[in-house]
Amino acid sequence: MENIFIILFGLSMIYISATSRLTSHINILIIQGWLLFFICISGISNEQWFNFGLFDNIKVNLPHLYSIIFIIVETLVVKAFVIPMFLKKVLRKTNAHRDSEANIPHFYALVISSLILFAGFIAASIQSSVFELISSLHFGVSIAVIIISLWLITIKHTVLSNVISFITMENGIFLLSLSVANEMPIIINLGVLLDIFIAVFILGMLVNEINTKFEDLEVSQLSELKDYE
Amino acid sequence: MINLILLFPILACFIIFLFKNKNLSNMMITLYAIIHLVTSGLIGLGIIPELSQNKFFAIDNLNKIFLIVLSIVYMAVAIYNNEYMKNENINKLRHYAYAVLLFIFSMTGAILSTNLGIMWIFIEGTTLASAYLIYFHKTKHSIEAAWKYVFICSIGIALAFVGIILLTVATGNLSSLYWADLYKNAHLFNPFWLKMAFVFIMFGIGTKMGLAPVHFWLPDAHAEAPSPISALLSATLLNSAFLMILNVFKITILAGCDGYARLMLSVMGFLSLFIAAVFVYHINNYKRMLAYSSVENMGILAIGTALGGNAMIAVILHLIGHSFIKASFFLTSGNILKIYDTKKIKSITGLMITDKKTGWLWLLSFIGITALPPSVLFISEFLTIKTMLEKWSYILPIIFLILLTIILYGIGKAVLSMSFGNEKINVNRQDFDNRMYVPQFVLIILAFILGLYIPQDFSNIIYNAVIGF
Repeated sequence: MENIFIILFGLSMIYISATSRLTSHINILIIQGWLLFFICISGISNEQWFNFGLFDNIKVNLPHLYSIIFIIVETLVVKAFVIPMFLKKVLRKTNAHRDSEANIPHFYALVISSLILFAGFIAASIQSSVFELISSLHFGVSIAVIIISLWLITIKHTVLSNVISFITMENGIFLLSLSVANEMPIIINLGVLLDIFIAVFILGMLVNEINTKFEDLEVSQLSELKDYE
Repeated sequence: MINLILLFPILACFIIFLFKNKNLSNMMITLYAIIHLVTSGLIGLGIIPELSQNKFFAIDNLNKIFLIVLSIVYMAVAIYNNEYMKNENINKLRHYAYAVLLFIFSMTGAILSTNLGIMWIFIEGTTLASAYLIYFHKTKHSIEAAWKYVFICSIGIALAFVGIILLTVATGNLSSLYWADLYKNAHLFNPFWLKMAFVFIMFGIGTKMGLAPVHFWLPDAHAEAPSPISALLSATLLNSAFLMILNVFKITILAGCDGYARLMLSVMGFLSLFIAAVFVYHINNYKRMLAYSSVENMGILAIGTALGGNAMIAVILHLIGHSFIKASFFLTSGNILKIYDTKKIKSITGLMITDKKTGWLWLLSFIGITALPPSVLFISEFLTIKTMLEKWSYILPIIFLILLTIILYGIGKAVLSMSFGNEKINVNRQDFDNRMYVPQFVLIILAFILGLYIPQDFSNIIYNAVIGF
């Protein structure tokens, strides 16, 4: 079950690379938030401690409960609700609904991101002793998602789609952190979440400022600072 | 004591929030600087032992140097800041004070943290806290610089987090990110994943440190930020990123796969020198010139780290010297900007006649940063080249020297043409308070004294810091 969600998560990146409407990109962010939630929950449900007796002995199971609460907050509240809502607000304010002039036609973008995802699956199927330390499908898909996001940042033209690609990259990194058997301590997870959240918030504010100071939200506007004048 | 320097800025932010007073903002910045300097001096030099048992923050042999450098530079900036910012309106000044306090707080947190994850959080925190400071002037240029800064650094730091995840893969069953545990168990780590982790952390945090080829935010941000902030960015922020790289590098040494890390550090170091040489040569913006000089000096630090051994002593000396001199250089550039109201090198001549003290500071900073004696950078670069000759072939030291000479020529041409010549007509002569001269002067004197004489106690501190590299 977990694998299906992971594959769907990878496929969502292909959808982002092939479309130009920013609203649908934000909707994909919501879907990714839900998918990450399902991936976490189906991963947790395989753990030994996950059973109906979880709530019987609250004191012993407190760390597990914390991690469940944290996952719900991180995936459903922040990734699937707060960040997309905030971006939608920015979108309404700036009236930039499309990013139609990417450097590469959508068809080619679709092909290239499919190839990267395919390479991710191939990496996941490598049989090697070093890959025994991690869960390979998580690893392959998340690396593919990170690379596709970085590549999208370079080809997209508006600053808002750059922010969206940045968030999909963070989602990819979240998936990567799930591939590791050692869980990060909750305090570090919280700090990371807070940082990313504030980063998105500041980027959103800057998008608003760019919108008021410049003619439009094209990245090419932001090239006035040069070494040689 | 550590708790004091970490809790005070948060308290100060609340006080500024509650009482809307113009003087209060600057006062809190200065008060924090005093507390920071006294505390870090006392615990760093071991005058009083650290009593609080804080799990996440502690002082050790290496980070005490970074902490003291941060304190001294911040103190100088805070004094300068009082005069530099006196004409801003109250609201802007309050926001500025929040951002500065949080910026110093996150740098202190990053330097003192005993845990890799916590350090990452604080380094990302520095980006977020300083975003407003770069955007302070609210012009088209400053928004462009702030956007590039936040975006590029956030991506870099996100990649560093990938590195941390891969490091946890390498640790196997350790499940701890405390530096002490990582060092103790480094020999058990999986070398493949450790190398992968180092690549990601090096590129990610290297972005923050300003190493080429991931330095693109640096010239823009340094040039557009107000001068006190440029000084803080260059003299303290880059150091705290460097500390994280040093710590991770130490893990690779203990794990026995440092060859790869050394190669990467030296390649990025030489590339930084090359980029700085190419851009400094023809540059027409003096703040960007100083920014490229920071790229150069970070490159030298990376090369020194790659060399190891005696070069590590050079690295520590270089780090201290660069921080002091570059802070002084940037603060002096603030004076020049106020007098001439332009950042163009070609529009400025006769600085010595217009404002003699600023002119002298500009020249002395130049002598310091280009490693002419008696600057401490002379000793550190000499030691680096000496170690390079011992460890590597003759070709690399020659390339190193050629690149340094080009940079010396580039900076020298600009500084000399600005300092001498006829005075410009219609220049906005200003009567600066001593607070806009003394901090730079003290920083330069410190760097020059270290170039002539290093006290025994201080050299012991340096020796202890570089054990294990």
